[in-house]
Amino acid sequence: MKRILIVDDAATVRMYHRAILESAGYAVEEAVNGMEALEKALTTQYDLLLVDVNMPKMDGYAFLSELRSHSDLAQPPAVMISTEAELVDRTKAYAAGANFYMVKPTRPDSLIGHVRVLLGSPPQ
Amino acid sequence: MTAASISQDDFLKFQEYFYRKTGIRFEDNKRYFVDKRLVERMGHTGSANFREYFSKLRFDTDGVEMQALVNLMTVNETYFFREQYQFDCLVNSILPEIVARKKDNRTIRIWALPSSSGEEAYTIALCLIERWPGIADHDVEIISSDIDTNILALAKAGLYSARSTMHVPESYLRKYFRKTANGFQIDDTLRGAVEFTRVNLQDPTDVRPYRHFDVIFCRNLLIYFDDVSRKQAAETFYDALRPGGFILLGHSESMSRISSLFQVRKFDDAIVYQRPGV
Amino acid sequence: MALIKKSAAPRNPAKDDRAGARDFDGLTRQLDEHDATARRWAARDLAVHANASAALLTRLQRENDVSVREVILTSLMRIADPAAIGGLVACLRSEDANLRNEAIEAMKSLPVEVAPIMRGLLVDQDPDVRIFAVNILESLRHPDVEAWLVEVIEREPTVNVCGTALDLLAEVGTSASHDALERLKTRFASEPYIQFAADLALKRTASMSDGQK
Repeated sequence: MKRILIVDDAATVRMYHRAILESAGYAVEEAVNGMEALEKALTTQYDLLLVDVNMPKMDGYAFLSELRSHSDLAQPPAVMISTEAELVDRTKAYAAGANFYMVKPTRPDSLIGHVRVLLGSPPQ
Repeated sequence: MTAASISQDDFLKFQEYFYRKTGIRFEDNKRYFVDKRLVERMGHTGSANFREYFSKLRFDTDGVEMQALVNLMTVNETYFFREQYQFDCLVNSILPEIVARKKDNRTIRIWALPSSSGEEAYTIALCLIERWPGIADHDVEIISSDIDTNILALAKAGLYSARSTMHVPESYLRKYFRKTANGFQIDDTLRGAVEFTRVNLQDPTDVRPYRHFDVIFCRNLLIYFDDVSRKQAAETFYDALRPGGFILLGHSESMSRISSLFQVRKFDDAIVYQRPGV
Repeated sequence: MALIKKSAAPRNPAKDDRAGARDFDGLTRQLDEHDATARRWAARDLAVHANASAALLTRLQRENDVSVREVILTSLMRIADPAAIGGLVACLRSEDANLRNEAIEAMKSLPVEVAPIMRGLLVDQDPDVRIFAVNILESLRHPDVEAWLVEVIEREPTVNVCGTALDLLAEVGTSASHDALERLKTRFASEPYIQFAADLALKRTASMSDGQK
């Protein structure tokens, strides 16, 4: 089963994304901020990262940049999610190593669509 | 009197709150474990229901209830070689890295707190003597501290139960311990290797002289602090470490709940934290 | 080479790093020292000076070293006078995400001091500041927190501010919020996240009679 790490400081957002991804057949783990995400991503090989931008202690940009700097690791694709819709934020996300950028609040079909492009559909 | 009960939603509320605060996540299969302890604390605090208790917990100004709850929810035993993988990390990864960048023959300094009855500090000493080849070429100083002078006295005395020494390899037991009527007595070599001091981590005057450490072990202490005290402790540790120095927390603790001052370092045996700027 | 033990208590290194005076004027001068460690110690020692907020805030504007900023913020938290609070609020508007987040954490630990200004922050013109205000409410021990959150979900036009309020309502709300939650669901009928979060809040805040599971 493909494993996705959901990174967001809001519990409800994590639950929402978990519900969407689990019902689409993916396995989900969580982290509340970029630092916890980094600890997890350095230890576990995830297939995809779903990363909020604005989080305390270490934000999404810092997490992703730091993870991408570990050239010895297999790097999972990342979807960055933010409240901001500006071009400057998108650009920053891609520079940090995101593959896609979505604006909050997300919609289930759109999220699944992005994930499927990056991962393929899970086996039935 | 009806027994207090914890609904599924109560449990989820608690689970989320506890995870947010400590990083420890209790899954559904821990319901019995969690519910029992919540009910115990509800009784202790005179809370008629979970909502009342949860409100007390969330808004408890001095963090006392959270501390009691964390105490109940976590295993607090101390013994030799507890969370062994961190000692492996010290010997296999941390010390070699320190040595590689050390430009002189200065002493390597390790601070271990809380000392409790000394098992952790003596374990570090044992690992250095027995498992780190570098001990032949480098001086290492181990300081271990606690706020409780009674427990420090125990640590200095170095007398341990069979339970506490359960994970000590047989050969080390023979070499460094003497079996007495009252337990296993640590020999003078080991006792002489650790300096035990009284320190209140939250007192700036107490901690001021604690500087220039290469490694800090602070396992299963910060988890009992409130958010502000933890943050201040992290700042204290930052100053206590040399640039590039390392700090190790308990296995269920994470800097992600405490401070952004440290960098995450993943070694083969463990995740540790490093003060930047080496 | 071996394990060694110093017989005396741990001592400072050869020279005393704390050469400067620890009086107020000395400390505020040391806030501008070249060395970050010296600045950190000065910021730390200023925490006990009730009139240090202005100096600390001035330094905070220019401080690039994260470790010094953290200590400045901790000291501001301990002083917690109106000037300190005002300074923390100003940090909420900073471009620097780390500084904003630290300010939020600091304000969370000062529920008594920030309570009077919360209502104003909850209707700030910047929707991000309104989100931060809801974040700060998380630790606020105040009888009106639920009422304020209900006000937010009744009147707030920005969907993500409502989302943040819902997250907190699920944790601290009661059935008193139900009517407002239903109205919010209607208002954002086409937002799946709001439907999800409002339903969660409704569930978690359902009133409980004795013995109900």
